[in-house]
Amino acid sequence: MTVRTFGSHAHPETGLERTSRIAASVGLLPILLVLMVAFMAVFEQKFFGVNNLFNVLRSTSFLAIIAAGQMLVLIVGGFDLSVGAVIALTSTVMAKTMAVLSASMPDQTAAIITLGVLAGLGCGVAIGLINGLCVAFLRISPFMVTLGTLSIATGVGLLLTNGIPVYGMPDVFVKGFGRALWFGLPATVYVAVALIAVVWFIQARTKLGRYIYAIGGNLQAATVSGVPATGYLVLTYVMCSVLASITGIMMTARLGSGQATMGGNVMMLQSIAAAVIAGVSLRGGIGRGEMVALGALFLSILTNAMNLLRIDSKMQLVVLGVIVVLAVALDELGKRRQIRD
Amino acid sequence: MTDAARSPAEVTRFFHRAMLIQAILPIALVLMVLGFTIFEPRVLSPQNLLNITIQASYLVIFATAQMIVILTRGFDLSLGNTVSAVSVTSALVMTGMAGAEGESVGSAIFLGILMGIAVGAGIGLFNGFAVAWLRVNPFVATLGSFNIALGIATMASDGRPVFNVPDEFSTLVYSGTIAGIQMPIILAAAVLVFIYFVLNYTVFGRSLYILGGNPRAATVAGLPSRRYLMMAYVLCSLIAVIGALMLTGRTGSGEPNLGGNLTLESIAAAVIGGVSLRGGLGGVQSCILGALFITALSNGMNLTRVDGYVQMIVLGCVIILAIFLDRLRTTRA
Repeated sequence: MTVRTFGSHAHPETGLERTSRIAASVGLLPILLVLMVAFMAVFEQKFFGVNNLFNVLRSTSFLAIIAAGQMLVLIVGGFDLSVGAVIALTSTVMAKTMAVLSASMPDQTAAIITLGVLAGLGCGVAIGLINGLCVAFLRISPFMVTLGTLSIATGVGLLLTNGIPVYGMPDVFVKGFGRALWFGLPATVYVAVALIAVVWFIQARTKLGRYIYAIGGNLQAATVSGVPATGYLVLTYVMCSVLASITGIMMTARLGSGQATMGGNVMMLQSIAAAVIAGVSLRGGIGRGEMVALGALFLSILTNAMNLLRIDSKMQLVVLGVIVVLAVALDELGKRRQIRD
Repeated sequence: MTDAARSPAEVTRFFHRAMLIQAILPIALVLMVLGFTIFEPRVLSPQNLLNITIQASYLVIFATAQMIVILTRGFDLSLGNTVSAVSVTSALVMTGMAGAEGESVGSAIFLGILMGIAVGAGIGLFNGFAVAWLRVNPFVATLGSFNIALGIATMASDGRPVFNVPDEFSTLVYSGTIAGIQMPIILAAAVLVFIYFVLNYTVFGRSLYILGGNPRAATVAGLPSRRYLMMAYVLCSLIAVIGALMLTGRTGSGEPNLGGNLTLESIAAAVIGGVSLRGGLGGVQSCILGALFITALSNGMNLTRVDGYVQMIVLGCVIILAIFLDRLRTTRA
């Protein structure tokens, strides 16, 4: 029997460790959120303006969806550096498809939108399949595979558009979805809540969710106990890319044009930051969708608050960096203390 | 391997195959250059080969820096922005000092270099402290310093290039020659020799391989793991400082977005050359090979006038392909 080891870190977690860890991660984030909102209530009332809150909700929705996808990949012990590039590719392909179709059959608005959205989602599926197949079957390091697809997807997006924004999407799509309010809230919020609920349901109630945890916790044990790991790995990467694709569709609808510079490395890094702040372990096996949504909310409010307080955008980067490292360090210290007790 | 008993013929075949796989990348490099030559004869001209070598000297320095932390199962996402921060701060000191009265250009350059080293060491210490003592995952720790270094670079320069870096500095690190050899090549060679020595002949260097290959064994063996891990991150940043100063000399100004894609490029170069992201595997020769490969690829595509966007797609495919070959190499050999 050839024995493969998957890193010395990958020890099976005991029930106690898991409970205390989740308790610790649930504890910190909501408290910080409340403190931050309270701080804004005292120092900057503009935060509570309806338009500002809508902006925060919109950016939270975008970030929460990609971060949830990123989380799934992190749970199986991987990485997805290509999410930002998938957003850009989706945006350009969808806008281009809609623009071309609008020119050839201007009356069929419903068909134009459906086909455009499907083309966009197709990009997500394609990139996700490349990532998943390379990781699961060729066993290439996820970091390098997704670095490769990051370059490929960005290149294709730029090649299609020459870096120029693509206009010509149907008005209904932009005004009726991207910039619309449904029952008094931005439409994107409903989509995000629904998707986070789906991710929660998958994680908490389905075999797929349990298998994803099992693969990330201990791939070898999972395979030995009969989990078809390769198939589920591919599926996880596809889910991540499709979620990124959906974000790309919503961002494009909001902006009203397809852009090859949308998303990018900033979105990718933020999605990882949001997941990690929410207690997702980069060693795999740990993470919950609803917490990641909170992490996204935290990052969005923090950014918005710093904007309102007129903190220099360059200084904001420094603050963000320090907070991400601190959050993870605190988490790590808390975990070690619990293990010692 | 499952069966300890192999017939001699099997063993020979096994080693032949292993050697063939080891040689894949150098062969691919040669084939690629020859392939480009068919379309554009200038690729193989002495002038262009010198060009490739000079261009590769920058990348090989950053790949070597990256390799040191990859050996310990880490990586440094902040490398690119460290380069920007060093470039801007050292350029600011040099231009500020050179303008002041009664200051010689020499001391301005000296202080500028010191400033760069200080900034690099600071970022390296931050990374090392977070990874080794706070036990933060290297990805997150260096993601944090990625933002911090970018903040420093743009804040110090207000987002604009810092012009008027003394010409003497550019001569020192870029356009000058010693015995007819260009400075970038000499500096890169010096870094490579130094790191080769550190990795192969010092306790610290050998320990890096153990730290990455088997961290538990390193602790059990009584190695000062935390101190060495911290030193690895500081060394990585300090080597990046050398590359940053060289790039600053080349552009003749401090650029707040000089680092741009260097992080990902340096990781790609190191890993394509054979440094394993699982730690404990790789050496200076891997970085040379990887850097030459990427530089020759983009040089060839430039000379044969491949569209810049298509180049990105090709680079992505090549990264995936090269890593796949590398996996064959590490598992079979």
